[in-house]
Amino acid sequence: MNGHRSEQIGAPATGFQQPLVLTYGQDVKGYLFKHVGRLALLALTCTSVMAVLLIFLFVILEALPFLGKFSIVEFLTSTAWYPQAHQKPEFGALALVAGSVYVTAASLFFSAPIGVLAAIFLSDIVSFEVRNVVKPVIEVLAAIPSVAYGFFAVLVLAPWMQKHLGFATGTNALNAALLLSIMALPTIISVAEDSISATGRELREASYALGATRVETMFKVVIPAAHSGIIAGVVLGMMRAIGETMVVWMASGNASQIPHPWWDLSQSVRTMTATIAGDMGETEKGSDHYRALFAIGLLLLVMTFLLNIMSEYFLTRAKKSLGRS
Amino acid sequence: MLSSTGRALKDSDGKPGSIQGSKEERVSGSIMATRSTEKHHSSVIKAEHFSFYYGSKMGVKDITMEIYARTVTAIIGPSGCGKSTFLRSINRINDLIPNTRVEGRMLVNGQDVYDKRVHLVNLRQQVGMVFQKPNPFPKSVFDNTAYGPRLQGINRRGDLQRIVEESLRAAALWDEVKDDLKKSALALSGGQQQRLCIARALATKPNVLLMDEPCSALDPIATGKIEDLIDALRNDYTIVIVTHNMQQAARVSERTAFFCLGELIEYDSTVKIFRNPGKKQTEDYVTGRFG
Amino acid sequence: MKVIRRTILDKAFTAITALPVVLLVAALLVILTPMLWRGAGAVLFEGTVEWRKMQLAEFGHGDEAGIRAEADQAQAARAAVYEMIDKFKSGVDAEQLTDRAKEIYRGFGKELQRKDVPREQYTMLRSLSREIRDKLETAFSSSDIGQMRELTNDVLQYETDDRFKGTIAREFFPLARKYQEAAATVNLNKRSEYARDLAELEQIIRDIFGPRPMEESPALAQFRYGATRWDQAQDLLFRLLWKEEWVEKQPGQPLVKIAASRKEQFAETELKGMFDLVENNLGRMLNPKWTFYWRYFTDDSTPGHYFGGIGPEILGTLILTILSMAFVVPLGLISAAYLTERTHEGPVIRIIRMCINTLAGVPSIVFGLFGMAFFVLFFLPLFGAPSKPCILAGSLTLAVLTLPVMIRSSEEAIRTVPQTYKEASLALGASKFRTFVTVTLPVALPGILTGVILSLSRVAGETAPILFTAGIAVGPVPKSLLQTTRTLSYGSWDMAVADKLAALVPHNQYGMVVTLVLLILCLNALAIVIRSRVLKRLKGH
Repeated sequence: MNGHRSEQIGAPATGFQQPLVLTYGQDVKGYLFKHVGRLALLALTCTSVMAVLLIFLFVILEALPFLGKFSIVEFLTSTAWYPQAHQKPEFGALALVAGSVYVTAASLFFSAPIGVLAAIFLSDIVSFEVRNVVKPVIEVLAAIPSVAYGFFAVLVLAPWMQKHLGFATGTNALNAALLLSIMALPTIISVAEDSISATGRELREASYALGATRVETMFKVVIPAAHSGIIAGVVLGMMRAIGETMVVWMASGNASQIPHPWWDLSQSVRTMTATIAGDMGETEKGSDHYRALFAIGLLLLVMTFLLNIMSEYFLTRAKKSLGRS
Repeated sequence: MLSSTGRALKDSDGKPGSIQGSKEERVSGSIMATRSTEKHHSSVIKAEHFSFYYGSKMGVKDITMEIYARTVTAIIGPSGCGKSTFLRSINRINDLIPNTRVEGRMLVNGQDVYDKRVHLVNLRQQVGMVFQKPNPFPKSVFDNTAYGPRLQGINRRGDLQRIVEESLRAAALWDEVKDDLKKSALALSGGQQQRLCIARALATKPNVLLMDEPCSALDPIATGKIEDLIDALRNDYTIVIVTHNMQQAARVSERTAFFCLGELIEYDSTVKIFRNPGKKQTEDYVTGRFG
Repeated sequence: MKVIRRTILDKAFTAITALPVVLLVAALLVILTPMLWRGAGAVLFEGTVEWRKMQLAEFGHGDEAGIRAEADQAQAARAAVYEMIDKFKSGVDAEQLTDRAKEIYRGFGKELQRKDVPREQYTMLRSLSREIRDKLETAFSSSDIGQMRELTNDVLQYETDDRFKGTIAREFFPLARKYQEAAATVNLNKRSEYARDLAELEQIIRDIFGPRPMEESPALAQFRYGATRWDQAQDLLFRLLWKEEWVEKQPGQPLVKIAASRKEQFAETELKGMFDLVENNLGRMLNPKWTFYWRYFTDDSTPGHYFGGIGPEILGTLILTILSMAFVVPLGLISAAYLTERTHEGPVIRIIRMCINTLAGVPSIVFGLFGMAFFVLFFLPLFGAPSKPCILAGSLTLAVLTLPVMIRSSEEAIRTVPQTYKEASLALGASKFRTFVTVTLPVALPGILTGVILSLSRVAGETAPILFTAGIAVGPVPKSLLQTTRTLSYGSWDMAVADKLAALVPHNQYGMVVTLVLLILCLNALAIVIRSRVLKRLKGH
């Protein structure tokens, strides 16, 4: 290993052979590639922006004539949904909105506590290996298409409910709520578990060192610390439930009514999503009914958009609180 | 004062245009590098009041120094003193970091590399870099080495094979891998991987080789091999090596720069820096009183 | 709180937290297992000779010679049943016999005219035959066996009469005789009851064995064959042997459903032998064999999915998903590349990210509305295509739906590539583009692949977006992208809810949805496997 091998190395250039500065003329291809390429990339990436804008635009466009023609107040507060009535079609969507809210709230009633408990289970109680086995199983639940859940709801759960619980009809709010909670659970568990795990060992060690039991540590220290993330998870689960179409269409019974009494889950309800899906096939394009459905769609879009913002807010809060600790 | 590791302090014997003369020069209080006797060494890299900021944090400040052709220049200093920052500014690999700011000029071959018109591809093909942690691509040994030449448009199998062999020989790795060039680079040992990275850098036929603590992740035997390699390359390449290992700097380099807290404290021939440093700070560092 | 109480609470809590996960896994099993079980019946079942006949005639599958031989054998076994029924019928079905008698009478009259018989003889013969006919008519409809016998004997007196020899009138006599024999075995009072039950029985026999060999083939495929599945045959057998009746067990109480033995009903007749005959020989009459109907996944189906498979649905799902992937994978990859390459997050990037998040939150039915309003009604006409739902519109809609998923997973995959590779490549003088393509992308590929597979599985299962943009329940296999298509998801919904006929073929119902679920589960399993391999490789670094 000596220094006299320059011949074998094939001698590096004596001095710089390639200019370090090239004008546009000398490297047209390079500059073109770089600048036009970057613009093209940006343009393509902006398709997602364009998509969102177009979605809002087109839904609003189709819904606008309806909103101009019929009273928005009536739309939002009346429960009389008779769009096909000959003389005077009525477009009161309150029952539909209430239906969506009702099944979503009911499903959260089941899935939020269960989800948080499951998240605690996965993050604190079982070993890492078990967690890595269980998590994929839960993700499998999330992957099952809603049609399959709806199938189960109509062909298995509904008859069972009628037979064993004595309900008048098996497709009702409870049926839809149960299935929605199963569908929302993976989301809630995943986000909540991430959030709970991220609070870190130190926090728990401090609490245990003071003599607290596990349940006390969880409820008094960990959950409060992770509360932003948990709320974000619940909100995301809410978004999933309220936007779900096939399951509620098949399982909720599609009766446009507000249950009476309000806590009677065994009655059928109708959600916004099911209304759109169910009615659209029979409406004429451009008719009032058609536009009313788009108005419902717009309402749905706005609601999920707000929920989205809310979840983002809580997620950023969660990240911030972790950054500090 | 200095511990030797079996290798004598490099005295630059038997080399044309030696800088023996500078040993007698007294370095003034300023941090200007000595230039007078280096006439037959042209300066390849020249920093002029060069400063680099990460956001509001300073990386290096007001560095002025010249690095001469076909010399091995070492940059030493305690951790966080900006030596890597300086090195990485030469080939602008620092561009990958967001929110950085530059003041002054960094001239390579007379051209300020921070000029907007600079063609980074050409710059980097001629100013090569070897990183602290060996980072061969998850490809075969052949493909790693041929990566650079392929970029330069060399596509013929014969040409590539020739260049790959040359580079691997220059990096003293050929004998160990010649039987299976298709082997994955990740299957090599740490020392072999680093030599592969050196071969890879050499394959583009650069003029300058920037080495950022190339041995810090390697064991002593591998380190020794790399130092031998540097020795073999010194006549054909301008090498700038950042190292936190003073003994290494003393062993391989002809000139040494001492950085501290982002500033260039002293820059002189290696012999001078280690035997008779001009600044107290330098002396404290090389004698191990701090850092 | 006392320590003990706290400890108990603690232990209880630990147990309680395990509950949700157990519940979830239980729910998964409860939902999936019956579906899998019933769905499996679409592919694995005992198929009868009727099934094989159907496969041959409707789909062209099977060994023609073998099936024909089999069918003949089965027919031979069934012949006895038909005989018994016919015989019984001839004894019971007065109307048919009367019609026959009238027919003979008319035929005889025509014959006489043709033969140019002298007027006197003509009138005499005519009135005689009329007399015979009337006697037979009375005999047939009489419930008094004595009267019947007298009348038929009267008629039979003329059997040897030369004047009827060689004419159609000769057929009066076998008619009378056969009736005499048959009627001997029948309780004439119960005749109307028998007639009604016989009609039911004949229908069930037709359901089991299909139409008779000489009968005209019905228009609907559903009715052209007997019981194609052994389990179906067993159900029909039960209905053959037992009749469901509502009886009043106790006065004043609601009616209770019981099963009455039909055999008992017909105990006084010759027909009672038929029940045992069928029960004991059903195997030979139908020849059930265990069948693995793998063609279920390729065959088309007859209307209502009564017979056949889900080939077009699978094809539709595949076309839609692959096409939408073709749109979304490059777009998502390029977007992810752009987002990861930018070193500082300016306002543009933040807007883009916000939009991606918004897109991810839009409900699938709104995508359906968008797809219809934009792609079908606006976009397609721009290019001169008719503004109707079609595969193209559906896959575009689905592509927009999965865009956020694709971008997020690609970004994640790209970010896991160690920075040092990028540095090394750039330091060698590669451009950012070159670096991305030759270094980053190959390393990120497994992660990207995972994202693609997950997107694919999501798209395959979506129903709402294609409701108005591409999907139909019944229709031909599409020949171009501008046509609609059946899909597994749409079809599953249709068979569960809309299609009335579907309840008759639960195995087909479940088969479709189970195929969809299995497809998606396999895709997800694949993604999980790839992901764990990637994690292992990264950890090795």
